[in-house]
Amino acid sequence: MSIAIKQLHPHFVAEISGLDLRQPLTPEKATALDRALDRFGVLVFHGQDITDEQQLTFTRNLGAIELAIGGNVTKPEERRLSVQIGDVSNLDQHGKVLAKDDRRRMFNLGNRLWHSDSSYRSTPAKCSLLSCRSKPAAGGNTEFAFMPAAYDALDAETKAEIEDLVTEHSLIYSRGQLGFSQFTPEELKTFTPVRQALVRANDFTGRKSIYLSAHIGTIVSWHMPEARDFIRELTEHATQPEFVHAHEWAVGDLVIWDNRQCLHRVRPFKDTDEPRDMRRTTVAGIGPTTPLAAEAA
Amino acid sequence: MTISIKQLHEHFVGEVSGIDLRDPLTPDQTREIQEGMDQYGVLVFHDQDLTDDQQVAYTKNFGELELAVGSNLLKANERRLRLEMADVSNLDQNGVVLTRDDRRRMFNLGNRLWHSDSSFRITPSKFSLLSCRSEPPKGGDTEFAFMPAAYDGLDAETKAEIEGLVTEHSLIYSRGKLGFEEFSAKEMKTFAPVRHSLVRTNDFTGRKSVYLSAHIGTIVGWHMPEARDFVRELVEQATQRKFVHAHKWELGDLVMWDNRQCMHRVRPFKDIGQVRDMRRTTVAGVGPTVEQTSERAA
Repeated sequence: MSIAIKQLHPHFVAEISGLDLRQPLTPEKATALDRALDRFGVLVFHGQDITDEQQLTFTRNLGAIELAIGGNVTKPEERRLSVQIGDVSNLDQHGKVLAKDDRRRMFNLGNRLWHSDSSYRSTPAKCSLLSCRSKPAAGGNTEFAFMPAAYDALDAETKAEIEDLVTEHSLIYSRGQLGFSQFTPEELKTFTPVRQALVRANDFTGRKSIYLSAHIGTIVSWHMPEARDFIRELTEHATQPEFVHAHEWAVGDLVIWDNRQCLHRVRPFKDTDEPRDMRRTTVAGIGPTTPLAAEAA
Repeated sequence: MTISIKQLHEHFVGEVSGIDLRDPLTPDQTREIQEGMDQYGVLVFHDQDLTDDQQVAYTKNFGELELAVGSNLLKANERRLRLEMADVSNLDQNGVVLTRDDRRRMFNLGNRLWHSDSSFRITPSKFSLLSCRSEPPKGGDTEFAFMPAAYDGLDAETKAEIEGLVTEHSLIYSRGKLGFEEFSAKEMKTFAPVRHSLVRTNDFTGRKSVYLSAHIGTIVGWHMPEARDFVRELVEQATQRKFVHAHKWELGDLVMWDNRQCMHRVRPFKDIGQVRDMRRTTVAGVGPTVEQTSERAA
């Protein structure tokens, strides 16, 4: 059976049919998915009733697994899932909905800000695969914004201005935007800022992206207020409705997105009442985005 | 001569003609403009070649002047204009453009965030009147968003949720969003948070507004991250393009806006090299929107 691709948005997002993700993938089909990800940024699969193991096996077709450590304030004994799976649910280790004032819940509210997964790592993620195991009655969509289209729409002056800029990313910055600033010394160390290029090009399509994320706190050698305002302006431009697609989840959906060229965010839902069990596997990137990454931020 | 008002945006903004703001207003003219403000939220006047004295005199038709103190980092000896005028320029006391790393410039970048003037005061302002004395060749527009339309656009559940909520406003919060945190002990005291109602009603039209501002840092009784996210969501909703009007400045324009039912922000321009001389007079509100805590009682 061959893969069929249907584009869902004028700029990006493809719905893929003709694949059972529980079955082994031929190298040709794995490459075809990689190329589709390069071109469309987001790939949507429906009716995929998979286990965590099957999701991991499928994910490895696209690269090495990035472990879910150093990405939140959940302690090892509080984990509900294996470290190979990012727990994007609102559930604690016993499968119970997190209480309104739970510190982990406050931290996770940061996922409602436009971000690129793991942009706070010196080697940030290539792509994320999110599987919907249970969903709330209303809300909880994931929205995606396509950065090659956002880049193309910048004026020539701005393109020239951002070309060589280097940004600093940290979970401290994204959470700080929401007024969450109570980190332990160990967390502060884990979340030390890293540097990323502000412009990235896709190896296959050659298209440039603005590499934005809520994790950005400043631009190297800029004053922070000026950098923050400039990044806010770019993010506002890049997340205009014309560059955004909203995915409404159904149980069994699996969505892959390319963090190198997409921003995403979760939309609000009644998260203190209803479970939303989403499980993420993440493919590691192949290296830092800038030679300056190694320099202490 | 009677004034005429032409609506410029589907929801708000009136362009006023038939009046010279240098002349004393008749009671009828004052009433027409006051009602125009209630209805349109923003009124635009062109070709008004005003002195500071004339602008102050015109402003007093609509209430008490709010003085430009406690709202920025300017020291008394750094003022370019008198206390009745808020200096919304990029100039220092000698008329020289502020340098890139000037602390006052960093602070003023906060005006690029959607806000309502003086929402950090216990009694926030009623109107702002901005006169354009010199403008950059490109950029520097002021954008306005109309909160009665934004309120009407909320779903019933959200309207019920926000009714009765009280927010905390401070310049510390709005500047903190840009990573500006170096305040002196005295500034920290001056900028101590104040409380406001999140929903306000216009006395004349009866229309409700979401009273939003970049100065909001939290909601009373909420955890800060949840409050911030909720307010961010409301601001995003309220500043959708359909609720926004951009004013492109020309020399001699005077624009007055109702801070009780509009947000506004300045758009970027080359503020290092080019002069933008804008002078604001402000009409004080009639009182607090909500009771303060004992420490900050009015």
